[in-house]
Amino acid sequence: MELEDTLFSTSEYVQTHTGNKVSRQSTLCGSQNIILNGKNIIMGESMIRGDLANVRMGQYCILSKQSVIRPPFKKFAKGVAFFPLHVGDHVFIGENTVVNAAVVGSYVYIGKNCVIGRRCILKDCCMIADDTVLPPETVVSPFTIYSGSPGHCVEELPEAMQDLMIDYTKSFYQHYIPDKDVSGVNPINLVTRK
Amino acid sequence: MRATIQNINGYHFALRPTRTKWDPSHVILVGLSEREGHWAKIANGAIVCCECDLQGDITIGSRTVIHPRAKIIALSGPIIIGENNIIEEQVQIINSSETTMVIGNNNVFEVDCHVESKFIGDNNIVESKAFVGRQTSLSNGCVIGAKCEVLVAETLQEGSLFYGAGSDVKRRVQSDKPSAQGAQIEFLSKVLPNYHRIRKPLG
Repeated sequence: MELEDTLFSTSEYVQTHTGNKVSRQSTLCGSQNIILNGKNIIMGESMIRGDLANVRMGQYCILSKQSVIRPPFKKFAKGVAFFPLHVGDHVFIGENTVVNAAVVGSYVYIGKNCVIGRRCILKDCCMIADDTVLPPETVVSPFTIYSGSPGHCVEELPEAMQDLMIDYTKSFYQHYIPDKDVSGVNPINLVTRK
Repeated sequence: MRATIQNINGYHFALRPTRTKWDPSHVILVGLSEREGHWAKIANGAIVCCECDLQGDITIGSRTVIHPRAKIIALSGPIIIGENNIIEEQVQIINSSETTMVIGNNNVFEVDCHVESKFIGDNNIVESKAFVGRQTSLSNGCVIGAKCEVLVAETLQEGSLFYGAGSDVKRRVQSDKPSAQGAQIEFLSKVLPNYHRIRKPLG
């Protein structure tokens, strides 16, 4: 089953030479600390807080609208610091989700409106259902689905999850194409007041 | 869909979106306003990023950290925020009544929470995506869990704790005080100015 084409307006997105499609309305704080490994999609109004700590995302990751990726905070004996956050390849993060995890593995599907607590560890090939709240420091094992508030393991995933996520993210990326017919939308003629 | 208030170049518009596109015929000019920041009184030592959205009469105490993309909107009445608070990104603190909204010291507002409560004491934690309604008042040491909607019309007892999901919110009272965030505030005060422009404090 092929996904439909999702169009985005060319003026709204920046395409880098490694194939990342980053929306101009997203906020990438501390962009020198953010590494996007290629072919990622960062949709509108999302935020990546690279200013707190390094954020590294793998290939074919999709960050939907209004999501926040934020490195977690850890108190050490000698002080405090924000932990670097590693996101693996082929990860889909739904709309409006707050990801405060320490590590997100590869081939993970995170639903929308989730809250991933501080310092959680999401292993490869897991799935977080919509509207889940994961308490801090939860470890989500591979091939499980977590759901609810607080998140509990509700189901197991088939071993094909890795191939499914590769298929899904690759075809999502390939079908996310610029809409060449849309001219810049300018809702009002502003009379500047200076 | 709700009307959204968009700030474009210092002018405020209310836009009613039809489905996902903004149809020009639906744009209503709500009112012109100065660039925000002129009416916010920021004490010395507060770290308020320029990218946050401050509207209306707001007073911010010292050593409070406000992350970028936070929204503090004093629609009709003023908002007074105490010291040592942490207001993370996408937080919406909205005062839509005409009385003053007072937020005390040492509170933490985590990502994407929505607060309309008129009085918040000290040492409270409002976790991610929580919603605190206008009738509720938080005393000291309360914790509103993630994604909880608290709409009860009462002043919460000290140390009350709300947990659970949207409609199925349970409460209990805890005897421990939530831990102090002084170390995090110090860290943020050093790190945030390196990456963001900070609004200049007045006085």
